[in-house]
Amino acid sequence: MISVKNLQFSYTRQPFIENMSFEVKDGEIFGFLGPSGAGKSTLQKILTGLLRNYTGSVIVSDTEVKRHDNSFYENIGVDFEFPSLYEKLTARENLRFFSSLYRKQTDIDYLLERVGLLHEANKRVAEYSKGMKSRINFIKALLHDPILLFLDEPTSGLDPSNAGRIKEMILQEKAKGKTIILTTHNMYDATELCDRVAFIVDGELRALDIPRKLIMSRGASKVRYTYSQNGREEGAEIPLNQTGEDSLLQSLLRENRLLSIHSSEPTLNDIFVEITGRRLQ
Amino acid sequence: MKPLLRSFGIFMYQISRDNMLWAVCIAPLLAAAFFRWGIPHIEILLCEHFQQQAVLSEYYLLFDLFLSLITPYLFCFAAAMVMLTEYDENVTGYMAVTPIGKRGYVLSRLLLPAVISFFASMLLMHFFTLTVWTLWMTTITCLLTSLLNVAIALLVFSFSHNRVEGMAVAKLAGLVMLGLPVPFFLSSGVQYLFSPLPSFWIAKFCVKRDAILLLPAILSSLLWVWLLYRKFEQKLVR
Ligand SMILES: Nc1ncnc2c1ncn2[C@@H]1O[C@H](COP(=O)(O)OP(=O)(O)OP(=O)(O)O)[C@@H](O)[C@H]1O
Ligand SMILES: [Mg+2]
Repeated sequence: MISVKNLQFSYTRQPFIENMSFEVKDGEIFGFLGPSGAGKSTLQKILTGLLRNYTGSVIVSDTEVKRHDNSFYENIGVDFEFPSLYEKLTARENLRFFSSLYRKQTDIDYLLERVGLLHEANKRVAEYSKGMKSRINFIKALLHDPILLFLDEPTSGLDPSNAGRIKEMILQEKAKGKTIILTTHNMYDATELCDRVAFIVDGELRALDIPRKLIMSRGASKVRYTYSQNGREEGAEIPLNQTGEDSLLQSLLRENRLLSIHSSEPTLNDIFVEITGRRLQ
Repeated sequence: MKPLLRSFGIFMYQISRDNMLWAVCIAPLLAAAFFRWGIPHIEILLCEHFQQQAVLSEYYLLFDLFLSLITPYLFCFAAAMVMLTEYDENVTGYMAVTPIGKRGYVLSRLLLPAVISFFASMLLMHFFTLTVWTLWMTTITCLLTSLLNVAIALLVFSFSHNRVEGMAVAKLAGLVMLGLPVPFFLSSGVQYLFSPLPSFWIAKFCVKRDAILLLPAILSSLLWVWLLYRKFEQKLVR
C-alpha cells in the first residue's frame, strides 16, 4: 500500500528527515510513535501529498505522491492533528459539504451516532468543545469510506470512554480491510491498536516492529514482591524466569509472609526510552 | 468539475452568511450610482461656485477608471477574507487532501471570483460610465483590472495572519490604485516613477488609447501575480 524509499525532506536548509525507508502492507494498522517535534505529522503530510518538495520515492496506492492527481484522494481519508472545520457551520453542514466532494458517500447520521454526536449535530462547530471537534474531525475522514486512512492523534484530548469509541471504530475499519496509518505519542494506544510501530525521533526511524516483539526483545518480565522482616517492610525484584532459584521467595511463600507480589512487563514506553534514549511525552 | 463547483459553492455560502462581505459585494453598485449621478451633480455646483466651465469633467475618465477597478478590488478583497478565515480554521490544508486539491482551491478562490468580478465590472461599466466607452476598451480595461486584483487578493492573503490584519493590508494594498490618477496629473518624466504599478499603465492606456501600452500593463500585472503567488503557495502548503 505504501512504500517509502530513501526519503529526504526538510523545512529548512538543515537536514531533517534523512534516508528514511519503510513499507506498509495492505490491511495493517501502522503506528508512528515518537516525542513531540519528532516529525510524525511532517511524515504524514508527505505521505498525503501535502508536502511535495521531498527527494526519494514515496509510493502510496501505486502513485508517486508528488505526482498524484485529484482522484488520488477519493480513496484516502485524512484526520489532521488539529480540527479543520468551518466554525460558523453546524457539524452536519460541515460533514455534508465534505461528503459532497467525493464520488462515494456513506451515512452521515450513522457516523455521528457512532461518536455520540447525533443529537448535537445541528450546533455550530464554534460552540463545540475540543473533544467534540476532534470527534467530528475523525468521522470527517471516514465520509467517503476510504481504503487508506491517515489518523494524526485521533484520540488526543478525549476522555477514556470517547477515546475507546474511536479506537473501536479504528479496529472496525481495519476489520473491513482498510490500511491505517496512526500517529500517536500514546504507547498504550500504539500497543493496543497497531500491527507494527515505527519509532521516530528527530526525523529518524529508530526501530520498526510488532509492538509485542519490541517489548519482548528487551528486558524480560520481572517479579516484584514485598514481605515483612522484623516489623519492617522489605522488597525484592527478580526476573520472572528465575523464581525457581530464589530461595527467599520460596520460603516466604511457604511461610505465608508475602505482603504483595506482582509481575511487571516492560511497556512500549520503556522500550522506547531504551532504544532512543528519549521519553515519549 | 463537481468538487470545484462545491468548493466555489461553499465560498459563496460563506460570503452570504457574512454581513461585512455582503456589504463589500454590494458596495460597487452604490459607488457606481454615486459616480454616475452624484459626480455630475457636484460638478454643476462646483462650476457655479467657481464660475468655471468645467472642474471635474476633465477627470470623468478617471472616475470611470476607478469604477472599473472597484468591483474586482472589492470582490478579491472578499475572497481574501474568506481564505483567511479558512486558513485560521485549518480548512485550507484540508481542501488540499480532498478531490478539490490545491489547484481546485486556488481556482475557486482566485480565478472564479476574478472572472465573476470581470463580468460584474463590465456590467457596471455598461450602465454607469461618465464618458463614452467602446466595448473593446471596456473589455480590455476590465480584464486588466481583474488581473491586477488577483495580485491584491494574493497580497492580502499572503501577508496577513488573520482577518483584522487582512483588512489593514487590504487598505494598504488599495495604494496600488494610486497609479490611476498619475497620467492625469503628471506629464513630465516623473510619472514613470509609478511604472511598477499596473494601475499606472492601465490609466495611461485608457488616456492615450495606444495598444502598445497594453504590453507594460499586462506584464507588470503578471509580474505582481507571479511574485506574490510564490509567497501565497508557501503559505498554502504549511
Ligand atoms: N510548517 C512548518 N515550517 C517549518 N518547520 C516546521 C513546520 N511544521 C513543523 N515544523 C518543524 O518540524 C519538526 C517536526 O514537526 P512535526 O509537526 O512533524 O512533529 P510531530 O512529531 O508531529 O510532533 P507532535 O507530537 O508535537 O505533533 C518540528 O521541529 C517543527 O518545528
Ligand atoms: Mg504532530
